Amino acid sequence: MAKETLGEFEHQLLLAILRLGGEAYSVSLVLELEERTGREIAQAAVFIALRRLESKGLLTSRLDEHAIEETGRVRRYFKPTPEAMRRLKETRRALVRLWEGLDLARDEAS
Amino acid sequence: MTRRASSSGAGSSLPFVVRAMLRWLLDRDGARTVMNDLQELYERRRTRDGNRAATAWLHRQVAWYPYHLLANRFRATTARRRSAFGAGTTDDSRSGEPMESLLRDLRYSVRSLARTPVLTATIILTVGLGIGATTAIFGLIDAVMLRPLPYAAPGQLVRIYTDSPPNLWPLSVADYLALEDQQTSFQQIAGYTNEAMTFNRGDVAERVRGRLVTWRYFSLLGVSPLHGRTFTSLDGAPGRAPVVVLSHGFWIRHLGGKQNAIGQTIRLDGTEHTVVGVLPPRVGPLEHGRDFFAAVQWEPPPRKGPFFITALGRLREGTERPGAIAELRAINRRMFPLWQTSWQDQRASWGMTNLKDHVIGDVGPTLVIVFAAVGFVLLIACTNATNLLVARVTRRQRELAVRRALGASRGRLLQHLLLEAGLLALGAAAVGLALTLGALELLTSFGDDYLPRTQEVGLSGPVLWCLAALTAGSALLIGLVPSLHGTRSRLDEVLRASGRSSTDAVGARRFRRLLVGAQFAVATPLLIAAGLLVGSLAELRRVDLGFNRRNLLTAAILLPEAQYPSPTDVIAFADEATRRVEALPGVQAVAFADGRPPNEVSQTNNFDLEDHPTPHGQSQPAVPWVGITREYFEVLGLPLIRGRLFDERDEAPDTLPVVVVDRAWAERFFPNQDALGRRFRSGGCTDCPWTTVVGIVGEAKYVGLDKPDQGTVYELIANFQYLMVRTAVEPTSILPSIRQTIGELDRTVALSNVATMEEAIEDSLDVPRYLSLLVSAFAAIALLLSVIGVYGVMSHFVQQHTKDIGIRMALGGRPSDVLRLVVGQGMHVVVGGLVVGIGGALVLTRFMSSLLFGVGTTDLLIFVTVSAMMLSVAMVACLIPAQRAVGLDPATVLREE
Repeated sequence: MAKETLGEFEHQLLLAILRLGGEAYSVSLVLELEERTGREIAQAAVFIALRRLESKGLLTSRLDEHAIEETGRVRRYFKPTPEAMRRLKETRRALVRLWEGLDLARDEAS
Repeated sequence: MTRRASSSGAGSSLPFVVRAMLRWLLDRDGARTVMNDLQELYERRRTRDGNRAATAWLHRQVAWYPYHLLANRFRATTARRRSAFGAGTTDDSRSGEPMESLLRDLRYSVRSLARTPVLTATIILTVGLGIGATTAIFGLIDAVMLRPLPYAAPGQLVRIYTDSPPNLWPLSVADYLALEDQQTSFQQIAGYTNEAMTFNRGDVAERVRGRLVTWRYFSLLGVSPLHGRTFTSLDGAPGRAPVVVLSHGFWIRHLGGKQNAIGQTIRLDGTEHTVVGVLPPRVGPLEHGRDFFAAVQWEPPPRKGPFFITALGRLREGTERPGAIAELRAINRRMFPLWQTSWQDQRASWGMTNLKDHVIGDVGPTLVIVFAAVGFVLLIACTNATNLLVARVTRRQRELAVRRALGASRGRLLQHLLLEAGLLALGAAAVGLALTLGALELLTSFGDDYLPRTQEVGLSGPVLWCLAALTAGSALLIGLVPSLHGTRSRLDEVLRASGRSSTDAVGARRFRRLLVGAQFAVATPLLIAAGLLVGSLAELRRVDLGFNRRNLLTAAILLPEAQYPSPTDVIAFADEATRRVEALPGVQAVAFADGRPPNEVSQTNNFDLEDHPTPHGQSQPAVPWVGITREYFEVLGLPLIRGRLFDERDEAPDTLPVVVVDRAWAERFFPNQDALGRRFRSGGCTDCPWTTVVGIVGEAKYVGLDKPDQGTVYELIANFQYLMVRTAVEPTSILPSIRQTIGELDRTVALSNVATMEEAIEDSLDVPRYLSLLVSAFAAIALLLSVIGVYGVMSHFVQQHTKDIGIRMALGGRPSDVLRLVVGQGMHVVVGGLVVGIGGALVLTRFMSSLLFGVGTTDLLIFVTVSAMMLSVAMVACLIPAQRAVGLDPATVLREE
């Protein structure tokens, strides 16, 4: 098991980026997370988590010059690093192993 | 390029507050990104959910920002600290770490605060004072105004009164009986009237405060006795033995608190009363201060007046108030024709008000003003503390930088600084709690004469919540700004700059000046309010009483009705007492009256002038009516202006009634005419003989110093309440011999409430005096703290600019230039604050108009005086550091640098 696992929200955020095509900016992430989790997401939480993940080396970012010209708005796009992908897979594996042999999933499905 | 909005205007349609907060909490880049995001999300939501939902969402988002940022910082603290130890990874299994770091920081904070004891004590004491005073006044407001009355289902209790705008007065016996008989909206109706009586036990006569109540009084309020019973429908009926319910205090004082007191008799006003019950020690505000309650049943009267019954009602459950009021008016209309011979005022009707409003009276504005004043003091104390802490954190910049260089994260430093502020606030809360307890104790024991419901004041739940909220608020106010400021500056900058004193962060300096400006802005309205109250009090003291207030002794005197049943008996007593007291050495003249200047008048009468009869159905004029003995004008020294004073002729049994009026009465009812010889009938009587005006005297005040003279009527009366003695010497020196003389005449007659006229006047000014004293004290504290603030900032300024000043002086700069520089810097801030403060005062003092007398809410003189005083005090505070700057020796300064 890795020394540092992903926090629940960090995990969700990375998955949301992947769902949005592997690169996304904060507004689209807020909307995606709201859609998928069905609850209101604090923009502050997304903003802070993105910065934290970036400082941990799990995300890289670039400024979208195109967007500035088009909308007058600054958009910073985030992309998971290979390290982030490794952690995601690791976390998933750990979870899948824990889920093995449990019947809860079937109950929910029925 | 086709930009629709410039990138620097990111989120420009967000509210200003939101933008300001984000800029304050985040770095430039971050703030811009967040504003962008919020703007974009907000717009999407508005299209999807509508304007309102989107705005609500935005507010939620913004409100949570500080929390998210703080949470993140605390998380970052622990994570980074761990990474400083390990190999770039952290270990979640080491739980308990945050707690440990908190404890360590706590110890560190205590130690670091203890290193600056003066600063720590200043902050704890000033903020504690603010918290304590604010909490105490809140406690008072809670007990007096907010809490429901301590009776059963207090929401249904009302007081019923005669409503004749602009006057409200009690009901008459005729009114009360009709009301009780005909109403259907109320479960119960009760009436009472207060009556002082003489309580005799052995040789001792004591004036006691009683109340005559109808038998339903206690059951209406839901008051149960401690011992015995309350009244039944038979009590108080004519011909039955009189019965009383005693207050707990009276029972303890006079009957030894014994159970067997029930059934005993006590002598009140010469009549034996049987004790049937004793009230519990804690009673409601209506019963508070009353010694006994006697049952009364009123007989149908011959005429409509007089009006002396306070009527209470308990509304039936489910009865709407408008319906009840309509019924009251209908009953009043129905009974009007029955009493038309003695009552012609068809416009007067009945009204009702919540019993609570009746109990509270008009203290609301006073309490709110005091609360605002203490709130301002707290605000200034917090600002002062913030200022001191920003300075402290600036001084500790290097210490903090070293800690960061050694691996402490910004979050950890923030935690440490916030803890310090928290500790300071806790210390202040302790001081505040002690102060609150003391103040509440004082209010309960001494506030009784000026405020209702003080016996309910105490450390209740809401008071403790208030204390907690103020503590938390203060902690945030004094902690957040210095902490964020202290941890924001960049490490390398600080370390590079160390050793050079002139590179104080410009932001910090600007911010501290802003704080000082804010202090002055808050202190100004407070000082102006104090100035207005003091000015108003001075005006009240300057009011011309119309007579010489020196060497005039007054005392309440009560003749027991059983011993003095007829007017002849009373007059005989008065004549004899006058003769004997006048014979005492040092006494010049003696009189009796049923009122006392400046604020006691026992009756206000309506009357109908022969020359200007009041049209049928209209309200007749009503003025204070003072019953006196002949010598009264001589005793007071009221000048006779026209006509004559009372003499022996007027005392003869079957002469036509005559009165003396004052100049204000004559001018009000007979402007530019002679009022002498005019006639009227008073009290709504239509077949009484005419009363003739025989004399006009100068005005005296009877309804309060702040009320205009609207005319007073004097009549000879055989029912008085006050003894008045004009003396040639210090009045109190004769008091023992006066007491002895009266005692010799009749030992059952008690003198009480003894006061010189000067004392009576001061007593009447108690409320304005205490109010102005209190607000002035708070204003003085506010000014002191603000001056400390500007002094601190300017001292710091001089310290930081020692080198510049040195160079300036070395290059031949004149001391006056340096003085101007330093004082100018300081006064710039003060004047800014003052201007804002004056603007605030113009708005806020408007709410004080009901508390002022003789000064307007925008009194120019007071505004100018207060401003000038603040400017000069601030000037001195700036001059001290400026002098220090001038005194610098350039050579020394430059060498040191």
